[in-house]
Amino acid sequence: MDLSDQVKKMMEEDEPDDDADSFEKISEAFICCICLDLLYKPIVLACGHMSCFWCVQRSMSGLRESHCPICRQPYQHFPMICKMLHFLLFKIYPASYKRRQTQILEYEKEKGSFSPQFDDPAFILETEKKLPRLSSAQESTVSEYDLLSHPSSSSKDQILLNVAPSESGSIIEENAGPNLQIAAEDVESTILSVDEEKKLQQRISSVNCHQISVCDVLCTLCKELLFRPIVLNCGHAYCESCIALPTNEMIRCHVCQIKHPGKAPKVCLELDDFLEEQLPIEYAKRRTSFQLKQDHLQQESSTTCSSEDAPESVYLPPSSAENLLSWWGDHKVHVGAGCDGCGMYPIIGDRHKCKECVEGRNYDLCGECYATGSKLPGRFNQQHTPEHTFEIMRPNSIRNIMLRLLRGQLEDTSAAPNPSPDTTENQHSSLSSDAQEAAGGGPATNDSVNQGCENERLVKCWAESNEPWRSEPSHDCSFCISPRQIEYWMGMGLG
Amino acid sequence: MNTSSGGGMAALGGGGRSWSTTSVSASGKRIQREMAELNTDPPPDCFAGPKGDNLYHWVATLIGPHGTPYHGGIFFLDITFPSDYPFKPPKVVFKTRIYHCNVDSAGNVSLDILKDSWSPALTVPKILIALRSIFTSPDTYKPLVPGIAHLYLADKAKHDELAEEWTMRFAK
Repeated sequence: MDLSDQVKKMMEEDEPDDDADSFEKISEAFICCICLDLLYKPIVLACGHMSCFWCVQRSMSGLRESHCPICRQPYQHFPMICKMLHFLLFKIYPASYKRRQTQILEYEKEKGSFSPQFDDPAFILETEKKLPRLSSAQESTVSEYDLLSHPSSSSKDQILLNVAPSESGSIIEENAGPNLQIAAEDVESTILSVDEEKKLQQRISSVNCHQISVCDVLCTLCKELLFRPIVLNCGHAYCESCIALPTNEMIRCHVCQIKHPGKAPKVCLELDDFLEEQLPIEYAKRRTSFQLKQDHLQQESSTTCSSEDAPESVYLPPSSAENLLSWWGDHKVHVGAGCDGCGMYPIIGDRHKCKECVEGRNYDLCGECYATGSKLPGRFNQQHTPEHTFEIMRPNSIRNIMLRLLRGQLEDTSAAPNPSPDTTENQHSSLSSDAQEAAGGGPATNDSVNQGCENERLVKCWAESNEPWRSEPSHDCSFCISPRQIEYWMGMGLG
Repeated sequence: MNTSSGGGMAALGGGGRSWSTTSVSASGKRIQREMAELNTDPPPDCFAGPKGDNLYHWVATLIGPHGTPYHGGIFFLDITFPSDYPFKPPKVVFKTRIYHCNVDSAGNVSLDILKDSWSPALTVPKILIALRSIFTSPDTYKPLVPGIAHLYLADKAKHDELAEEWTMRFAK
């Protein structure tokens, strides 16, 4: 068939692109499920599945909670890039990773929006040589972070505690509230920085060999080889056993002190398998030591259920549609806007928008991150500094429409295969009170109700698909929202 | 992290417009990779590839599986990828007429993974496997042609007879 020739031709066309790194056989574990290429700036979702920064960003919903592309586990927070994995992949597949880098950079330039910049270990090596040795421990914290982050001012970005001592000092003078926390963070980071510097040196010493070593894949806390790794929302990797499950409070990262939303993340099995395969001896050691500890724990607390099973029961099934509805109904949802602090996307509750970050992407914070004085840099390399001022934003009116749509959708799924006219009417009577008011005392005839339903579905189609709206509603139903109106609202809120 | 730069429109699905050029290349790469995957490891009784020069228009063939009234039929499908593929599902249309409650006379397919349950991790081979599975077990709960679904539930023998006849007539 001609087609197979066509396919071959296409493949040949693609080849020059892959030529440079065809000798690198990329492990199946590090292929992004979305772009089907080597992971670039990997993000590990709470369910343990990995994807690229932009792939995750683009697959998130913006209207409501997002779902893992692989297991469909819902999540609401855009996680940060796992830097450990980023450097690991750069080390294992230097040529492929470089290719991906240029490819993504091209994409970012066209889009005018950038992912967080880090520097590759080779760069760290060079800067390390140039830098004079620093005496005070606190200064070394800064240098360490500056090394890892971009040297230019644009990206003190990724580094979560990169507030220079002088800066944090001034903040402490200004606000009495969050200063304790900042001070605590400084101390914490100081302690850790010493360890991290050791790690960095180890990394530098082995930078030229493609074979990975244990120091590339250390747990952030125990500084040993990751055993059953989990990655928190802030992008730091831990052994599953190192993250104690606090019963009531949220998990907090030990390095950056950022809270991890939701329950403990699941083990990143792909990475776990990879580590077992690549570092079999070290991994086996970790396993035996873990089992010993486990046995010990079980002997101590024989009355409670085994800790192996405990986390399993914590993972609840995905939130039901009813939860989703109440979530939309009770909260102010800022469609399409994400928090640069915790990553919540879309923002629910108050949204504080930076007045000064106007180029490219906005810088937004959710109510909680604003209140706690999040000093995080933007998720998209915004030039945000803590001195910037914020304004509070009202939720865009499209949310109200979406609320209705969601209700429509909910009823769609719960409805019987062939809904009779009465059930349709019941569905409408369960709409929110404002919708009822808008309808002028409820649906008059079954006919108009059905048409109303149809239009809601159309609106939904319009909102979720790429197809521009084609037809105006043919009747004057107060349930229906005119597409032009939506377009106008969307222009107001988001354009 | 907001969207006034156009990301919001994309997040809302309205925005193929703003980044069409970039997403074409990203989606094109992904489609090429899927093509390679299909070449090296094709799913059983399926074939898919670009129609002509355009990478975004594919043609696929499915062979009716054994033990179904569609056995022996060769069904042609058109697959059209949106410019922001894989974040939006491809459109799949049957070009060969088929007597099936999930495929209407225009060839439109009602398959949840091609609509609400789409995930960017799904690929053409997975879609083809899903399509093959509706040959063996039609989804009578969400039919596109309710009449066929009713007949399937009420009188399967009659349904199968008709489906076989259609297969003979249109798919051989």
